Amino acid sequence: MKVDLTTRIKNVAFKNPVTVASGTFGTTDEYAGYVDPRKLGAIITKTITVQPRSGNPMPRICETSAGMLNAIGLQNKGLEDFVENKIPYFKKLGVPLIVSIAGESTEEFGMLAKTFDGMKDVVRALEVNLSCPNVETGGVNFMKKQERILDAVKAVRDQTCLLLFAKISPELGDVLEIAGKVIGQGVEGISLINTLRGMAVDLRSRSSRLAKDFGGLSGPAIKPVALRYVYQVKKEFRVPVIASGGIGSAQDALEFLIVGADLLAVGTANFVEPQATLHILKGIEEFCRKEKICSLNELRGSYRPAGEKGERCER
Amino acid sequence: MDIKKYDEEVPILENEKVNGKYFRLAFRSKNLSGNIKPGQFLQARINQGQDPYLRRPFSYFRVSPGRVEILYEVLGHGTSILSGKKKGEVLKVMGPLGNAFTEDLGKKKRILVAGGVGVPPLVFLAERYPTAYLLIGTKSKAELLPKAELKKVRAKVLHTTEDGSYGTKGRVTLLLEKILKDQHPGDFFIQTCGPKQMMKAVITIAAKYGVEGEASWDESMACGVGACLGCMVKTRGGLKRACADGPVFKFEDLEL
Repeated sequence: MKVDLTTRIKNVAFKNPVTVASGTFGTTDEYAGYVDPRKLGAIITKTITVQPRSGNPMPRICETSAGMLNAIGLQNKGLEDFVENKIPYFKKLGVPLIVSIAGESTEEFGMLAKTFDGMKDVVRALEVNLSCPNVETGGVNFMKKQERILDAVKAVRDQTCLLLFAKISPELGDVLEIAGKVIGQGVEGISLINTLRGMAVDLRSRSSRLAKDFGGLSGPAIKPVALRYVYQVKKEFRVPVIASGGIGSAQDALEFLIVGADLLAVGTANFVEPQATLHILKGIEEFCRKEKICSLNELRGSYRPAGEKGERCER
Repeated sequence: MDIKKYDEEVPILENEKVNGKYFRLAFRSKNLSGNIKPGQFLQARINQGQDPYLRRPFSYFRVSPGRVEILYEVLGHGTSILSGKKKGEVLKVMGPLGNAFTEDLGKKKRILVAGGVGVPPLVFLAERYPTAYLLIGTKSKAELLPKAELKKVRAKVLHTTEDGSYGTKGRVTLLLEKILKDQHPGDFFIQTCGPKQMMKAVITIAAKYGVEGEASWDESMACGVGACLGCMVKTRGGLKRACADGPVFKFEDLEL
């Protein structure tokens, strides 16, 4: 039985819903020796900023229970390098590319959008990263003022007709309220959730295990939180959602699909298991076959809320 | 060209404590054993579940056909779980990762300066390639490698202990400086791996005597393949990834 995994969002067709969360799949071909990236439904890039950024001092990662903290700080070589040296790789690869962008100002958001608007043969969508917890300008701290989020989103919308996803997190404030407002500014979809700020203390030095006090928590530890927000946003707004936050197995991916996720972005799990995306893809197909589901659309959003009238379906 | 990379489940052949400090773990892998160079490392997934979650990097200690050994210290949660693994249990191992120490030094004589977790890759190097000196610094006699582990090393092996319980009392850099002072420093090439403070001292001495060398410089890493940008090292050529651009860097390239 052939299972149709095609996921359509507006005018873009993805051959399957499995993608990689921004910043967890390298800059270009770091994982190519371990996993065939052409099998992915899409690739979400590491966040690109206008200027090169060197990020935060070391140590900037540490493991915590069922997850990790990172304080990378959007290290990347900047827009010019990306366009010149990375875009040709993705063009050749032929997988739909979703470029994650972050500006340090409203103008920069606009500039990034304008640049990628001219590359529609490779770039199929933009993920506007409004929620990096590890930078001073452009991230969570900056975006705490809601008008800045809306200005950034508006600046991007004004410059491109590409499919837009706003990546937001509970760190910014009320997720549903913000989602509603950015949708009002014309983004097609929402990407949920970024890392959640946390900390870890070294007993000997009584200081942070990172070079900064806080880092962004990712991995299985945050999955229930991510699942809840994806469910709520999907239920409230019925817009396309890219889900991320602790997706590491087919079970995780299927849960997100059932609450309505459109794309499933595998993040930290790539670091642990480079083939995680492909294992998940295979697991989704196997589940569908077993459950006689011909198309993912039968499964997507099929969640039965607690207390809903009628018998719960025991399969 | 592209080096073949492996990520495979390997059976543990032995996992035993060899002294007060180290465990030696051997596993079977035909693929890895044929493709590893001293200085490179592997990423081990210790359990299939979520505890520990990330893989752990280990340098290679010794390799023979079909068999790979690592030597590790129990330093935290992950290595503590690893130390409880029994023969026949399975690890998932990615490798070979990272670059390697320079093998052919031309006419230069090799001095290896090792401390702590830096001992295994340098013993590996000294077993495979001509080496003048292997200098090993430990806190005390309790952390010395058993003699049997060093019997294939054909270099002159000198020890220092901080408490003077074995070899020369003091830090390993004392020995290095003495050798460079007494002989022609220009004849030597230094390769070092160990605690950062030790490597910094080695690099300072090397600069003082105009000796070239390489250090294996690592930082906490998550992915091990250059994707997460967790383990950056400051170099003259900008930030480099310890896992993918290193871990071995030329002294002159490191910006400390």
